[in-house]
Amino acid sequence: MSELDRERRELAAVLQRPGVHPDPSLRLTRRTFIHRSCLTGAATVAQTFAWWPLLNTIDVAYAAEEPFKFAWVSDTHLYPKSVNTRFVEKVQRAAREVQAMSPPADFMIFGGDLAQLGRANELELGVELLNEVKIRKVFIPGEHDWYYDMGAKWKQLFDKPNWTFDHKGVRFIGLDTVTHGPDYWTARKMSPEERMDHMATLDGSVAGPWAGVGRDQLDWMQKTLADWDKARPVVIFSHNPLYEYYPPWNFWVRDWREVNEVLKPYLNVTNIHGHVHQVLYNEIGTMRSIGMLATSWPWPYAPEGVPKLTKPMIRADPGDFYDGVGWETLSMKNDRIETEYIMWGRKEVFVQSPPDSSLSQPEILRPRIADQIWPY
Amino acid sequence: MTTRTTLLFTLCIASLVGLLAALAVLVGPANANKDPVTPQQLKAYEDAFMEQVKKGDLLFHGDAATAKQMNVVLSNTGMACAMCHPFASDTHPQAFPKYQASMNKFATLRDMINWCIEKPNQGEKIDSDSDAMKALEAYIYWSNSGSVLVPGKY
Ligand SMILES: [Fe+2]
Ligand SMILES: [Fe+2]
Repeated sequence: MSELDRERRELAAVLQRPGVHPDPSLRLTRRTFIHRSCLTGAATVAQTFAWWPLLNTIDVAYAAEEPFKFAWVSDTHLYPKSVNTRFVEKVQRAAREVQAMSPPADFMIFGGDLAQLGRANELELGVELLNEVKIRKVFIPGEHDWYYDMGAKWKQLFDKPNWTFDHKGVRFIGLDTVTHGPDYWTARKMSPEERMDHMATLDGSVAGPWAGVGRDQLDWMQKTLADWDKARPVVIFSHNPLYEYYPPWNFWVRDWREVNEVLKPYLNVTNIHGHVHQVLYNEIGTMRSIGMLATSWPWPYAPEGVPKLTKPMIRADPGDFYDGVGWETLSMKNDRIETEYIMWGRKEVFVQSPPDSSLSQPEILRPRIADQIWPY
Repeated sequence: MTTRTTLLFTLCIASLVGLLAALAVLVGPANANKDPVTPQQLKAYEDAFMEQVKKGDLLFHGDAATAKQMNVVLSNTGMACAMCHPFASDTHPQAFPKYQASMNKFATLRDMINWCIEKPNQGEKIDSDSDAMKALEAYIYWSNSGSVLVPGKY
């Protein structure tokens, strides 16, 4: 059994115990895409496809004091304008659309990877473009923002990479899952550029399992939640998913066991994350997890590990730079949170039949080889 | 020659026809001069292939030094192939040749590679028999070598 298989089995054994789901009082509404057949057992691809209704929203039940909306934008991966204006235009579009929301969103969360190569001018460009958004903005970092100057510029612009606030009966936590990477650069005497280049290669092996929450932040999160009613809603923003999906691309946090230990007593936890550049949905223990689109480009689904509860998004047309990407509004009203994916230029965000999905063509892939031997 | 002697002896007992057939196989034509492949040769062939895979991996991941050395400009947008295709995923080399909707033509993997270079990457199309093309192809096939052939699949 491979290391990955072992980890995955452990995840299932530890977290996906029978009968344990987010918030037992949770009411899955008629509009939800999660079907009973997916919740109770292994559905084959064919079965899963057969069950998907034609819906573009994720509905889950929960109790906010009064209805409100917030917007999520992430993974803009900005280069300087001289290199690439395509990504700039997409941020402008997202900013315009967020600002035009009516009624306005209460706040916007930026979920990381503002810059592509962590340069000061890329981060500053991001700030400038997002100035169009006049509502309150909060930021968490992505790995692309951090590893050129180890967060110096990011902290100057956005202050702390983790934070918490309460809003209309919901406790929001911004978690930093990117700054606790193991040191792969000192022994190899890397320049800041080289360090950043390895971090910026999603399928590279040099930066290793960099995604993690870290003991210090786990303790902070535990303290932050200590005075919070266990039945009240908690929303956790993170760049990486807080469960294990596909470690070779850091579609996980390596300390997901500890995260689960801290969150276990809380019955109503929603994790909203970026980094994967794709639609994802999962339930792990008492936490539900929702993956957000990038504005820059979509990542394909990993060759294995896609959560059974995920209804895949459409296979993007590579000739259309506005396909497979976009932003999200999340509304909390009465007893539920509803996610609306705004995928530019697409009538249907989710696949309608197997040929719509890259998953309909199974792949068996090998990890890359050259970054292990050249030049290191 | 001990092995052959023993084998021939056994076959003699079996039948005359069997013996004649076996002799033809074991002895071969009088002018035979080919040796079985040696482990050293196999290693050399494998090394020749992996050398291309490594070059292709570097090109695919936007390595500037390799692109310069091979005299190609695969991108002018900062984008590298691997930014949409980690582990060469979603390249589906096993599905080519096929009708490719984005090009509106019957296409090979090489056509598709050039389409990606020219459209999303806004780079310079490469010669379809060039070293860079062969290296990219080697890397993409190698990465997907566990996948099943489904030529023509959408
Ligand atoms: Fe990203
Ligand atoms: Fe990321």
